[in-house]
Amino acid sequence: MTEPLLSVRDLKKHYPIRKGLFNRQVGAARAVDGISFDIEEGETLGLVGESGCGKSTAASSVIRLEEPTSGEVVFNGNGRGSASRNPDGTHPNDVTEFDDDELMQFRRGAQMIFQDPSSSFDPRMSVGSAVGELLKVHGMSDRHRRRAIVEDLLERVGLSASDFDRYPHEFSGGQKQRIALARALVLNPDLIIADEPVSALDVSIQAEILSLIDDLQEEFGLSLLFISHDMSVIRQICDRVAVMYLGEIVEIGPVEEIFTNPQHPYTEALLSSIPTPDPRASVGGIELKGTVPSPTNPPSGCRFHTRCHKVIQPDGVDIDQDDWRGLLNFREKVITGEIDIDQVRENVAAGGSDPTDSEVRAEIRREFDISETVGDPDLEETLSEAMNLLLDDNAEMAGEFLSDEITTPCAQTEPETTVHAADHESACLRHEGRAAAEPNPADD
Amino acid sequence: MATEGSERFDQVDWSDLSRSGRFDLSINSIGMLLTTLPLALLAVYDTQFIGDRTPTFEFIGLDRTFEAVDFFFIFTLFLAFWYLVLPLYQNPRMTRYYWKEFKRNRPAVVSMVWLGIVFVGGIIGPLVMSAPQQELLVAYQPPVFTSVVESTPATCVGEVMNGRCHGTWEYPLGTTNAGRDVFTMIVYGMTISMQIAFITTTIVATIGITFGTLSAYSGGWVDEIMMRFVDIILSFPTFLMFLLILYIYGGGLGMFIVVFSLFAWGGTARYVRSKSLSISEEEFIKASRISGASTYQVIRGHVVPNVASSIITQLTLLIPGFLLFEAQLAFLGVGDSTVPSWGQLISAGRSDLSYAPWIVLAPGIVLFLTILAFNFLGDALLDALNPEAEAESE
Repeated sequence: MTEPLLSVRDLKKHYPIRKGLFNRQVGAARAVDGISFDIEEGETLGLVGESGCGKSTAASSVIRLEEPTSGEVVFNGNGRGSASRNPDGTHPNDVTEFDDDELMQFRRGAQMIFQDPSSSFDPRMSVGSAVGELLKVHGMSDRHRRRAIVEDLLERVGLSASDFDRYPHEFSGGQKQRIALARALVLNPDLIIADEPVSALDVSIQAEILSLIDDLQEEFGLSLLFISHDMSVIRQICDRVAVMYLGEIVEIGPVEEIFTNPQHPYTEALLSSIPTPDPRASVGGIELKGTVPSPTNPPSGCRFHTRCHKVIQPDGVDIDQDDWRGLLNFREKVITGEIDIDQVRENVAAGGSDPTDSEVRAEIRREFDISETVGDPDLEETLSEAMNLLLDDNAEMAGEFLSDEITTPCAQTEPETTVHAADHESACLRHEGRAAAEPNPADD
Repeated sequence: MATEGSERFDQVDWSDLSRSGRFDLSINSIGMLLTTLPLALLAVYDTQFIGDRTPTFEFIGLDRTFEAVDFFFIFTLFLAFWYLVLPLYQNPRMTRYYWKEFKRNRPAVVSMVWLGIVFVGGIIGPLVMSAPQQELLVAYQPPVFTSVVESTPATCVGEVMNGRCHGTWEYPLGTTNAGRDVFTMIVYGMTISMQIAFITTTIVATIGITFGTLSAYSGGWVDEIMMRFVDIILSFPTFLMFLLILYIYGGGLGMFIVVFSLFAWGGTARYVRSKSLSISEEEFIKASRISGASTYQVIRGHVVPNVASSIITQLTLLIPGFLLFEAQLAFLGVGDSTVPSWGQLISAGRSDLSYAPWIVLAPGIVLFLTILAFNFLGDALLDALNPEAEAESE
């Protein structure tokens, strides 16, 4: 097997949070928390995830726009391939260790396209000079030579050479993205990182840009790291996909494999968000409740367990999955003190008479989608007990009680990576122990 | 069309190029160097090799002397030409766009014409008109088309009809109590006003932009200290400082310009800092950094040009303040009485206001119009120099 063009190992980017007079570090926002992936030559790897999951931070750390906190980014482009590790374990092609000269060379090997076409060009610089700037920075002082190269490239991305002297405000968003592509290409890189390059564009323009990217990739043998939150775009352009949640990659695999046989519940949820043209098809399927937890204080165990619709029930419990999700949500809210029992009472009272306790209980159940009676008598008892404590205005006790009584393995154990098929891995506790025996489980 | 046989981006051999061309100067910089060099030599010659009283141009037989202010004024003119006018010519597209935006504002176009007259008058005037001479015989001549009681002027140059002396074209705006031609003095005053405008703007812009971008890019404690220093500058009683210097060293026009512009850049620096901070968050700055450009290249190539176009407005609005201040100081009698500024003219005429009002009115109106024109121009520039905001709204 040949070595990959880009190999990212356990990359982390933590933003320190400082407070107080002496700027003491009180914590860190773990925007990217240990991601690993490879990109082969000529391959397109998609990176998907919600807003705020660290996709863009991952991109800027890989390209060293920001200094990563730790980890390794081995870039084998620029003819630097087939280097072997140093005796001390470091890699000579590790981007994070590059000195100024090597970094300059790396800039010629990897470039980036940004999301917002309106702010990615200097409004006071003609687009020709903006593209030519890279050539100038890298030592091409011959003005005419720069112009010839840039004009040729502008034509190649579907504009005309006479656009050289025009200014960014004279172009549409799609045209600007073409110019951005020209700018990324002008140093003839091996790798282009595209940070949501089409998400600010109309769907029709999106398709044009995507096919342009495709053509250029084929012609110049480019590798792409394509970041997006749009699964349908990913499916169109990528060879492999990595799904990110809260700074970690939860599933990675070939695009068809991921789309037809998703293993991680989060991937399933993302896939179910793709709109289908069939009006009779059930819309949405899985609805993720709540927001992405803060990367400052990520949930313990599996980071997705606070929102997972397939969160595991402990041994000996077998109730309706929705009830279980509801119970966990209820537990979470009680512990964090976000349930205001007086507010619930008021809401019920708005319907008419003074609310009875049973009405309040029913309201809480409704709010958390818990059915009339939970399938397990022990849990039902726990729930009633917790509600009693709540009704007695003893939220703290209720929280302690619930955190003792209702537990899920997902919150306790960090999931290991499980291999499902060649090149298809995910990190979910539900697969652990099963994967070896059942490499490709026909789940659901 | 790209020329045939030209090389493609993927055929460049970078290992050949990597080290060359680090110091290639633009045409603008070369021009600036070539024009500043003789000026600097002349300044050195003037200060080191000839006596204080010898005219600077005696070696070619001209009886014309240059003060430090004149040298600095010419330097700022070169700056303005190579880095303001020439780029406008080099980027005709952008210039046309600015002009299209600018000309929507009619008062501003009129203002620009007026300022153009003042500018050209200030440059050419002193070269073609001889300095106004004291001639007591023709004191208090009225402006053309007007008349005064015959007894006001010493001798009436124009016609005397019904006991009134009429003005003539010889002295179109009348004469002062010393018989100097008011029109000539106003033209000479244009030079002073343009000197004040150009030199203060250059000093304020240079310090403000440098200080502001440095502060924004340093961050942390450095930023904190620099900005507190700006607070001190902003709250400094410049006028008292000026009076103090005046009584210790004696003040000339140069001293006025230096003192007031050295205490006027606070607002500019603060504005530049906030603008640089917001610009450095833009994606084109990231793109430029990813291209391999050094911090200096990013600041010089992207941050400063973007900041500069937005502070042009602020600077334009700063100039009227200086002009007015100069006139006020002259009126108070603490200005430089050796320069023929408008303020000096007004102050010279104030005791004759009851019977020779033109001595005060003519320069007063010119000063008023100039200040008004700068204000109109500033407002129009604010609208014209903001292409991205326009593009968004379309």
